[in-house]
Amino acid sequence: MCAMLQAGSLHLLCLTASSGVPLFSRGVSRQLPFSVIGSLNGVHMFGGGQGAVLSCCETDSGGRVVWKVFQESVMLIAVNGEQGGAVDDFQLRRLLENTWNCMVLVLGQDELVNARNVERLKRDLRSCYRLIDLFLEGAGDGMGDLTHCADCLLVPQPGPLQEALDTFTQASESEFGCLLVHGKVVVATEKWWRLAPQEVVLLSALVRTFSGSSSCDHPVFLPQGSPTVPLRLLRFQLLPGADLCVLCGPAPSLQTAESQLVARFWCPLVETLRGCLALSGRCLPGSVKLHGDVLGLLLINRESRRAVSTVTPGDTPPGRPRPARCRELLRLFYVFAATRYLGPEEAGVPGERRQGDPLEEDFTLGFSHQPLQCYLVTEECKLFGLQTPQHQLYLLMPVSVPTFALRSLATRTLSALTSSTGF
Amino acid sequence: MIKSRGSAELEASFTMIPPQPPGSLILIDWYRSADSKEYFNRIKNKKQRRRFGLLEAPVLPPHLSVDTVRYKVFISGKSGVGKTALAARLSGLDIPNMHYETTGIESTVVFWPVKLRDNGQVLFFRLQLWDCGENALRRFDHLLPSCKEQVDAILFLFSFTDRASFEDLSNQIARSSEPSDSVVKLIVGTKFDLFMHADVTDQDVRKFQEVWGLPVFRMGADVVGAFGEVAPLLNALAESLWHQDCMMVGAARPSPATGGPGPRPGV
Repeated sequence: MCAMLQAGSLHLLCLTASSGVPLFSRGVSRQLPFSVIGSLNGVHMFGGGQGAVLSCCETDSGGRVVWKVFQESVMLIAVNGEQGGAVDDFQLRRLLENTWNCMVLVLGQDELVNARNVERLKRDLRSCYRLIDLFLEGAGDGMGDLTHCADCLLVPQPGPLQEALDTFTQASESEFGCLLVHGKVVVATEKWWRLAPQEVVLLSALVRTFSGSSSCDHPVFLPQGSPTVPLRLLRFQLLPGADLCVLCGPAPSLQTAESQLVARFWCPLVETLRGCLALSGRCLPGSVKLHGDVLGLLLINRESRRAVSTVTPGDTPPGRPRPARCRELLRLFYVFAATRYLGPEEAGVPGERRQGDPLEEDFTLGFSHQPLQCYLVTEECKLFGLQTPQHQLYLLMPVSVPTFALRSLATRTLSALTSSTGF
Repeated sequence: MIKSRGSAELEASFTMIPPQPPGSLILIDWYRSADSKEYFNRIKNKKQRRRFGLLEAPVLPPHLSVDTVRYKVFISGKSGVGKTALAARLSGLDIPNMHYETTGIESTVVFWPVKLRDNGQVLFFRLQLWDCGENALRRFDHLLPSCKEQVDAILFLFSFTDRASFEDLSNQIARSSEPSDSVVKLIVGTKFDLFMHADVTDQDVRKFQEVWGLPVFRMGADVVGAFGEVAPLLNALAESLWHQDCMMVGAARPSPATGGPGPRPGV
């Protein structure tokens, strides 16, 4: 079981779908030889010629390859060459979707689908690297790249922040506004929440790439909402780590918004914002008490498609995994449980699984019914997954917790979280 | 040759501006002196530069209270010359170890204390550096006007390792400024430390300076942290901006009572 929970190293290739011309390659430092790239494309093309779609394969040594063609124009291939790697098809598939979304966000769909000059497309694609690399590295400390649910930070009193955001957004001639702390959504306007969840995740990731600067005006295309018409993402760093974003049209200019609106609406809230920054390690209000045996958790609201995740910070007693490892374990367990039992959340009706992917056949899931709970025991930790109509909870605990107690700890944690935060 | 068509008139107008000798308005070496410590400590956090959000500014005790003057500075230059790296360097942020294209406008705020030579008054310059990727500028028409809106100074960058970027300077200047505007213009040559790969010679630079009458600064990739490597450029920028403001209000010397030469909203 232990080998299963080891992350591998990833390689990402992008080619034109029709002619197989390599467009870019990202990931581990040494580049794959051209012959390998050619073969990976060739074997996919061979399948195509036989009327079959090659979707993924596993090598003898445990490596994995996943192919996907987007809009019949661009082929993305993810390769995980690590021996005994734990990387699941699901993770690689998510990586390909996220990569495509990054490309659309920066360049727009038209430029990708109707590219006439390959050399120019290659050059333009360079502007996507920063965002794509962020997803290759695991998109910071969130889980949104995997869950496609917006990573949130829950604050005790969101009221004043929500109010300031709503009025600020309105004053910026927009309906789409969002406040992020360390890349996690604290409050957002109603319209922002109506963006596709992947878009919310993508925009949060984009903001992470700006970390050092004070304000930005970035043209963005929304992969679902506006793939061909660019919008402007204005982002203001109110405090280091606290970013305010609005999506708007031609007006106002960055300068106008910054000099006339930002201070007016946000200066009164500086202390509240500092309070949010203080919570950012935990993502939960201080009033929420977690059982001492909870090393980390991921809670997903299935209806609103929002998620909150946390790992216990600070000194690790011997024998317990360190915080970074806890995060990794939670990610791996999410993939494990979501793909095998609970079903990853896709947009649409809860419980309807994998509707977007006709290549996934029912039998691979193995069940005719919907499992509600699952657990996993390794030499390193114990994990429990729990599903209700409204929520999914993934809980990480030390080995010392008796297996029979996992379920009650998980149910109690879920009700404690939901009742105290209303999440 | 770096001359391009239609730039002769532009050149002529630049050589007309009387250059003020460095250090005539501000104390160039002040950052080294003991009495500047109290001010410079406000923009430091231990060994590193302090980061300020838009809602923040250096906090000084009441007896040191100083005025802040705000300026917008646009960084212009060919793709890959190091615009983002320069902004990071001047603001004391970590310089990205990998080159990524900037896909829109990114602005960075730098606070820099300056002591005026004339009356010993200390001012905090709040320089907002605007940096925009060249490819984004090409693809989206609204970005360049936004960068030029109410701009006070432009840094034109070229890389010592990329001759084309040096030859592109006249286009950059023509694109971003008018001969008659009152925008402060400085030239910055980046990657000066990579002399093994230098593609632009000292003679080229001297010739350029003679023709255009614009000061040229050289930036390498020294260790971040000390002020010494950014002080010459920041002081020159601050002094030129101050000079420009003094010219604008028609007074050679600002009034100490108001703390600034002209009205600057939003201080």
